Amino acid sequence: MSSDWDVAVVGAGVAGLTAARVAAQAGLRVVAYDRMAPGGQLVNLTALHDVPGPGEVTPSAELLGRLVAAAEAAGVTMSFAEVTRVHAGASPRLETSEGEVGAGAVVVATGLSAGRLGLPGEELLVGRGISTCAGCDGPLFRGRAVAVVGDDDWTAEEALELAEVAAAVTVLVPGRPGWSAERAARLAASGRIEVLTGATVTALRGEGVLSGVVVATSGGERELAVDGLFPYVGRRGPGALVDGVATDESGRVRTDDGVRTAVPTVFVAGDARSGAPDSVPSAEADGAAAGAAAVAALRPAAGRGLRIVDPTFGVQPAGSAAEILSGGTAEWTEVALFSNSKPNATELLRGVGERLQAHWELPEIGFASKPNASAAADKDVIDWLSQRYKMVLVAVGD
Amino acid sequence: MELEKRGVVAPLLVTSTFLPLVEAQAKARRVTPRVVVVPHPVGGLNEAELAERIEAAAGALLPLADEARGSA
Ligand SMILES: Cc1cc2nc3c(=O)[nH]c(=O)nc-3n(C[C@H](O)[C@H](O)[C@H](O)COP(=O)(O)OP(=O)(O)OC[C@H]3O[C@@H](n4cnc5c(N)ncnc54)[C@H](O)[C@@H]3O)c2cc1C
Repeated sequence: MSSDWDVAVVGAGVAGLTAARVAAQAGLRVVAYDRMAPGGQLVNLTALHDVPGPGEVTPSAELLGRLVAAAEAAGVTMSFAEVTRVHAGASPRLETSEGEVGAGAVVVATGLSAGRLGLPGEELLVGRGISTCAGCDGPLFRGRAVAVVGDDDWTAEEALELAEVAAAVTVLVPGRPGWSAERAARLAASGRIEVLTGATVTALRGEGVLSGVVVATSGGERELAVDGLFPYVGRRGPGALVDGVATDESGRVRTDDGVRTAVPTVFVAGDARSGAPDSVPSAEADGAAAGAAAVAALRPAAGRGLRIVDPTFGVQPAGSAAEILSGGTAEWTEVALFSNSKPNATELLRGVGERLQAHWELPEIGFASKPNASAAADKDVIDWLSQRYKMVLVAVGD
Repeated sequence: MELEKRGVVAPLLVTSTFLPLVEAQAKARRVTPRVVVVPHPVGGLNEAELAERIEAAAGALLPLADEARGSA
């Protein structure tokens, strides 16, 4: 086969990691692309409810570790690049941030974008009051008032998690709640949570940081003073990423039959699929089905499952690491800090940096940051840091 | 991790929650990162709590940094 890969998986969340593992276990050459890190939505969640089954809870990091280890063991190659376009057809081609590649089959497992209300000024307030990660950013709102927008089970869980730290949580439900009766009872019992149904956020308030929202209900409009806003509505699928496949009104990929799209070499799994129930068990089941469907689509070309696999495929040759390492030419007095701009990350780095500065008697310490923790670092900044500094202390995650 | 690949010593300050993720990513990239683990969370801490985290992180970082410099 002339393609670079047998199967290219776009997105390494639950669905993508599972699809990639299943295809690799069948002996295919599989690459899984992710523009961030493996895990997708799991990275933002602490506890997974109803996983593995209803009423059960699994720590998110535990499942993530298992999925990544299984994909690795099966021989999946991970590539941390963004796929910007998939040209579907008999021999699909993918445009990525690291160049163009060909694949025999493609599994689209991109999940959904972060929740948004679609209001003016919203993007400027992201990270300044607006968040979609209660587990990461909830502690910032200790003792303060927050609002959550959404109507599903996960909105209810996020509200319950926020109620453990915030003084008051208002859940704004655009229509009627879709969460379970058991969650409705827990919300009602919390004492700190108020649920407003038929509530639409019509405007955001705040100069530089969020200070409130305007809420319209059947009773009219009113101002709600909140420091935090967690929207779980307006999430969108991959939309026009793939040529020739139909999407629904929220940009999710439509399928003809399970995980199969109208293009025989393109499959879709997890939240990116139109009609998916948006849960971890269903993303895992989708991933397994899409991986198996990709294998079945390639079977004749791949020689009925019997092939000789090069165990070193995708592994960098030993010499290349040494070659790259010869790059660090700066002196040991050249030390910098690199912050991901998460709350307190810069303060933590500066504190630790000061201790190192005193310990090594450094005249000064450099500083760089990326504006947003959920975006990859700018290549120019990495180039600059690696040319100028011998050691860079990096803040990762919180 | 990209910095380490380019020959820069780049210790990562990681909160405990993100450690499995960093380890998974490192494994996928076939690098062994230098990691200083800080208890989660860091955001939302008051000054005294943050000072404690700084103290603990510095305690782990300084020997790691000395070792990197010594073996260079
Ligand atoms: C707040 C919240 C709480 C939840 N809680 C639970 C729960 O308790 N239990 C439960 O069962 N479910 C829960 N869910 C749902 C569950 O998290 C998802 O259904 C599941 O994680 C989806 O997995 P996925 O692989 O389809 O997508 P994702 O996890 O979103 O992964 C998609 C991946 O694709 C990558 N990607 C996207 N576009 C590109 C591109 N162009 N190029 C390269 N990479 C790309 C992304 O970086 C991401 O890593 C929750 C969801 C939310 C929002």
